[in-house]
Amino acid sequence: MDLATYKQDVWGREVILGASWDLLWLVVVAAFVIIALHAVAVAIRRREAKPSSRGPRVARHRGIDRIFHWVMAISVLVLLVTGIFPIIGLEFSWLTIHWIAGLVLTAAVLFHIVRSLFWQDLRTMWISARDLKEPFDTSQKPGKYSVAQKSMHAAVTVLVLLVIASGLVMFAMIDTPWWDRTNSIAESTLGWVFLIHGLSTLALIALIALHIYFGLRPEKLFYTRSMIKGWISKNELEAHHDPERWAPDKSS
Amino acid sequence: MAAHDVMPDTQLYQPVELDDALNLLHRHRGEGWLLGGGQDTYGWLKDRAKHPAAMIDLNGIDELRGIRETADGVEIGAVTTLVEVIEDAGIKRDFGLLTQAALRVASPQIRNVGTLGGNLVQDTRCWYYRRGLACYRAGGNTCYADSPQGMNREHALFGASRCVAVSPSDTATALVALEATMVARSRRGERLISADRFFVGPNTHITRMTELKPDEILTAIRIPSKWAGKRFYFEKVADRNAWDFALVSIAAAMSMENDIISEARFVCGGVACTPYRLRNVESAVTGKPLSDESAEAAATLASHGAKALNHNHFKVPLMENLVRRAMRA
Repeated sequence: MDLATYKQDVWGREVILGASWDLLWLVVVAAFVIIALHAVAVAIRRREAKPSSRGPRVARHRGIDRIFHWVMAISVLVLLVTGIFPIIGLEFSWLTIHWIAGLVLTAAVLFHIVRSLFWQDLRTMWISARDLKEPFDTSQKPGKYSVAQKSMHAAVTVLVLLVIASGLVMFAMIDTPWWDRTNSIAESTLGWVFLIHGLSTLALIALIALHIYFGLRPEKLFYTRSMIKGWISKNELEAHHDPERWAPDKSS
Repeated sequence: MAAHDVMPDTQLYQPVELDDALNLLHRHRGEGWLLGGGQDTYGWLKDRAKHPAAMIDLNGIDELRGIRETADGVEIGAVTTLVEVIEDAGIKRDFGLLTQAALRVASPQIRNVGTLGGNLVQDTRCWYYRRGLACYRAGGNTCYADSPQGMNREHALFGASRCVAVSPSDTATALVALEATMVARSRRGERLISADRFFVGPNTHITRMTELKPDEILTAIRIPSKWAGKRFYFEKVADRNAWDFALVSIAAAMSMENDIISEARFVCGGVACTPYRLRNVESAVTGKPLSDESAEAAATLASHGAKALNHNHFKVPLMENLVRRAMRA
């Protein structure tokens, strides 16, 4: 199965056309298999007692960060629906919705970058050598974010930046309220742009499927609640986090 | 890419039942090609720009042929030839707009074999696309006609979304004006699609020009009696008077009460990927008489929102003039 599809340009030279959408089914199946294997593995593993959500609470996500997360989530889902559905045969007038959602995502990401650089502690998301011990040593508890959460964030960061950068180039090729299309990008360059946009989208589909799965798992549901309501209980904090590495009242 | 004189090697099926044709279409999903009069098809095949594995000839299916009166108008089988449409006395009497439009299709030879259904579902004539280049419409990622060097004299003023090709059908404009309904059949059953919705632009289906799904066959066109015997106007402007596609055409249907237009439908061809309804003109002329004054007022509205390409600015005054002429008493 190829990563890319090819075409002949106007001069008869072979150039990249874009990502091979046959990969979509591979990505969907791979994500499903990983999710199924994980679900089975967790089911046969001995269940640990779930810490209570009652009692004192600590702040995990501020309102502004929760709004950012859900704006980004909605825009990414809209982008996936409007980008992928026409490819699998559910055709509708998608382009305008797609670029508007793309602009919302771009604005949200820019906001997040500025906020992270100047108002938040970048180290809370940085993957350290100590984080890498977590999966192999159950005594190692994470700070605010687990190594899995940090890895997911790093991967989503790279992919979203790729999809935005390539999307903005494609955006210049269509009419918008601010400019008329120029359609003057060389075909070979365009092929690379479509390829990057397509492959990063495919990878995002897999990551988002995993993200939603983990967000809905019973033992992780308190993280999803914290992304809605902003808090976790002190019991949950003590059960899942190292208070020395994350003191919520100071960092959040 | 040189044109070839001989047909490529392909399987030919000649079903005599619609169900058999639908089954063949299903069996050759994505590889089957429906054949009516062949006037659009043969160019594609001889240029080797399309490579269907199987041709499904619809001409032997009786139920797809003929013109029948119905309780509410008339039904025309999709493989009825254009000349049969032109010569039909009932259509000439009640829906002269379609007669006039069909009379302006291509040449007498083509009208003799070309079908009404084929004229409606024919592919665009954008030469970049017809030449087999991998443009958006062919599944690619660019529009050659819309590039800074592109030759786009015949292309769209309205509704361009990445692709700027236009609908080439002369009868489509008339049928949209007459509020026709397209009957589509698939193995799942029958589907009725209004002519307004039947033709779709690149914002929805960039590789297709109609709402027909790949497993559907256009079986008939129904024209309601609503517009029977009303005032019609059709005019097509092309580089040549015969055997040419419209640069701009207009099909207008007007219902008159005491010399006042009570309802109107104005549809332009050659300016968008679909027959282009001039809704603002329709609103403006309703309640007005046919006169130079109302023609002038309507004409200025016709091209509102047009986005001319490098080489087709001339279409703007052309469509305005056609509206003027349609409105003259």
